[in-house]
Amino acid sequence: MSSWLDYTINGLIIGNIYALVAVGLALIFGVSHLINFAHGSVYAVGAYIGWACFTYLHAPLAVTAPTVMIACAGLGVLIERVGLRPLAGSARIAPLLATIGISLVLDQLLQIIFTPDPRALTSPLPNWRIQIGGGTIGALDLLIAATGIVSAGVLYFFLRFTKLGWAVRATAQDRDAARQMGVDTDRVNMAVFAIASALGGLSGLLVGMYFNHIDPAMSFAATLKGVVAQVVGGMGNVPGAIFGSLLLGLTESYGVAIFGSSYRNLFSFALLLLILVLRPNGLFASARSTPPEPLTGSFVMPSRPVRVPRIAVIAAIAVAAIVPLAGAAPYVLQVLTNAWLFAMLAISLTLVAGTLGQISLGHASLLLIGAYASALLALDLHWPVWASVPAAGLVTALLGTALIAPAFRLRSHYLSIATLGIGEMVGLVILNWESLTRGPMGVTNIPPLQVGGVELDNPRAAYWVTLGVLVLLALLQTRLLRSHLGRTFRAIRDDDVAARAHGISLGRYKAIAFAVGGFSAGISGGIAAHLYSYINNETFTSTVSISALTMVILGGLGNVAGAVFGAVALTALPEMFRGTAEYRMLIYGLALLLLVRFRPQGVFGTT
Amino acid sequence: MPLSRRTLLAAAALPAFGARAAEPIVAGVSGPLTGPNAQYGAQWKRGFDLALEGINGAGGVKGRPIEYDFQDSQSDPRQSVAVAQKLVSDPRIVIELGDFASPASMAASPIYQRAKLVQFGFTNSHPDFTKGGDHMWSNSTSQAEEQPNLAKYAAKLGFKRPALLHLNTDWGRTAKDAFMAAAPGLGMQVVAVEGYLAAEQDFRPTLVRARDSKPDGLVLLSYYADGALISRQTRDTGLKLPILAGTSNYSPKFIELGGQGVEGDWVMSTFFPGDPRPEVVDFVARYRKKYDQEPDSFSAGAYDTMVLFAMLCDKYGATREGMQAGLLDIKDVPSVIYGKVAFDPATRRVQGATYKLLQVRDQKFVVWDGTAPAAG
Repeated sequence: MSSWLDYTINGLIIGNIYALVAVGLALIFGVSHLINFAHGSVYAVGAYIGWACFTYLHAPLAVTAPTVMIACAGLGVLIERVGLRPLAGSARIAPLLATIGISLVLDQLLQIIFTPDPRALTSPLPNWRIQIGGGTIGALDLLIAATGIVSAGVLYFFLRFTKLGWAVRATAQDRDAARQMGVDTDRVNMAVFAIASALGGLSGLLVGMYFNHIDPAMSFAATLKGVVAQVVGGMGNVPGAIFGSLLLGLTESYGVAIFGSSYRNLFSFALLLLILVLRPNGLFASARSTPPEPLTGSFVMPSRPVRVPRIAVIAAIAVAAIVPLAGAAPYVLQVLTNAWLFAMLAISLTLVAGTLGQISLGHASLLLIGAYASALLALDLHWPVWASVPAAGLVTALLGTALIAPAFRLRSHYLSIATLGIGEMVGLVILNWESLTRGPMGVTNIPPLQVGGVELDNPRAAYWVTLGVLVLLALLQTRLLRSHLGRTFRAIRDDDVAARAHGISLGRYKAIAFAVGGFSAGISGGIAAHLYSYINNETFTSTVSISALTMVILGGLGNVAGAVFGAVALTALPEMFRGTAEYRMLIYGLALLLLVRFRPQGVFGTT
Repeated sequence: MPLSRRTLLAAAALPAFGARAAEPIVAGVSGPLTGPNAQYGAQWKRGFDLALEGINGAGGVKGRPIEYDFQDSQSDPRQSVAVAQKLVSDPRIVIELGDFASPASMAASPIYQRAKLVQFGFTNSHPDFTKGGDHMWSNSTSQAEEQPNLAKYAAKLGFKRPALLHLNTDWGRTAKDAFMAAAPGLGMQVVAVEGYLAAEQDFRPTLVRARDSKPDGLVLLSYYADGALISRQTRDTGLKLPILAGTSNYSPKFIELGGQGVEGDWVMSTFFPGDPRPEVVDFVARYRKKYDQEPDSFSAGAYDTMVLFAMLCDKYGATREGMQAGLLDIKDVPSVIYGKVAFDPATRRVQGATYKLLQVRDQKFVVWDGTAPAAG
């Protein structure tokens, strides 16, 4: 019985830590309806500034903490002013992407300045501990808890009783109305970013001290847990974010207690999905709070798509087809093969995210399902590869749609976060379902692509096969979008209430779109498995999902030709900067930012 | 200090200018310079650079300097296959070193195999890595050999009912299985096995779970960063169990990140700064001087690999065929990790690493004095 007390305390301690991050995220979401993916990076920057203060200035915590907060507040202002404010007029997707770009840039800068090695951030606090149950808690645990509670209290006071706080709340409720009433919403936004980033930096410092460990890769995990926690508590709800964090910590701790460590994050995401499906406004939403804003339409920026003449499409395909004959190096063919595989994923994503307006952040999990399906069919059931790859497409279509189906009633950000959670869960299930997937050892000796007994194991053959499949899938999808199906998808995207009033069954059409998308993605994963010969649960990670999304947005949401273009451009870009080694991801991040800034509707425009 | 490619190439090229502008011999490297595993790529570079300083400082191989061309793959299979195509079609490249993690390394294997370019995966302990083809070689310590040694030390420390915490990746799983196989023969019964997720930082619930199985010691099959976190949190939660950690924890970072939380821990290592063998003395002294820090098992592996490469070039010719023929034949390569390196032509791996047990005493690694921990 005493162990349960220990699990409870441990859950609260880690929940406490999540809360520090979640509060900042909730504040920003509350005011600007933006999931700030750069928040984790600010948190990492805070940790490093703290480290520098301790190491070089030998500053005490009482000096270091305010320094970190001021510096990070400045960084927050900079992010808002330079990265986000210029995007005020564009679709909501633009600032979301911009935060992803900013996060890439900040993480890379940290890595270049401080090297990727983890560092110790030793807590200067006294080392006394209190015995509770079978464990102990120390001064730092109390400081972290106090920071969480005090910052929530200060925020509450600020939002309720100060003029700027009223302005923040007014802006959160209705930006346009607030502006008409004379509120300087830009200043409000800036203040919010400053406060949230100061908190983010402080939490980075405290968490770094708690683990005695900081590294540049700490940001993504923090953002992920923070987002989950604030969804559980209710997006944009500050006290809810604290409660959600504690609940998340407890769920993880009890999950480990019952099922073991390897299942840990599975419980965080299961909790997330449960809350999203049962109480999409979060546990703390009161009955009178407004339902989630129908952001679906405004999420995607309407624009006039670039009409690509049929002759140009045919010419492009013809050029692509003769590239291997024109003496291209195997390296170029391999990069382009990767691009074609990515393009299959991108056309899948552009269908659900662009045409249907359901932004998926977990699309890489479809690749995983496809890759495992094809590999296991070929190895365990001895299917020929020409049959296992299309079968993998079908399996992915079915399984992917079934997994997302419970989330069909969710909209905009909520759906995106659900897909993020489902994506992470697929990876964890593959890791743990050993009897089927071989667990962490992965699947080895996957046979190469072959048709009729002929192995297609040279770069040219792989190139042509992937190109051929891509062209087929892309033409099918273009044809589909010209039919009534395409019009229905767009109707759902632009106004789902009106669509439903016209007798459109939303769930059924969403299922069709996810199934078609799942098929392309599954084929892509299946082919990749046979090209790589080895896959495991980490072959396709969440970074692949993010890359696919940037490709789709670069090309123009919903635009099939654009998705292919985006895939080629963003696969080739980091390869072109290969000579700059450590700097290439930095350049990639900057390119992404510039793109969002100057052409948020994508190169080919949304359709 | 981060080393840029330019200073690196300049450093490698300098002795060549001094002698005569001979054509350099180039090893291709596929590994993580950016992304979540970048810290290991950085350690590789330190090991490579130190080895090259010695080799090129002494005039290179037959008057030709040795260089490496480090292509960042982020340890991502999509990029490692592109890197593989780039390296195999580059006529300067005579051997490929890396990649880091199994998905990236093994996805690229078919390409190297077809091109008959040796893929030398010096961190690839996945048992199937060298089965990818006869051009896949590895001097990574095999878990099948390492874990029985760790289990022996566990028994010597008096563990009867250890709890095992392992990283739940292909590496951690292989290590765990090998340890579990060796334990019963040494009179040990493993009472709890917890596989934790990569990038996990909070181990408190895991430790409670382990504690409830009433172990008499903890065995960590972890990397140094998570090993340090686990050990710290063990002490923070008030558990007084003795802790024994595997070789990948041997790093100055283990002590830096663990602080007082790793004091008294036992760590098995394939080499140790106080080791009197001349290769080790030389390596450690020069490493300390160049980088102002202690080497770890990752930089030692990279160093060994570069030394091996130079010897292969010298004895068997700096060609792709020379590498393959040389690996089948070469013997008695000096090594920091192994006494002398020779490859088993059947497994294409190295046997016979020497394992020492160290203990953290006063925030330093010292050789274990043989006293078993007081029964806890």
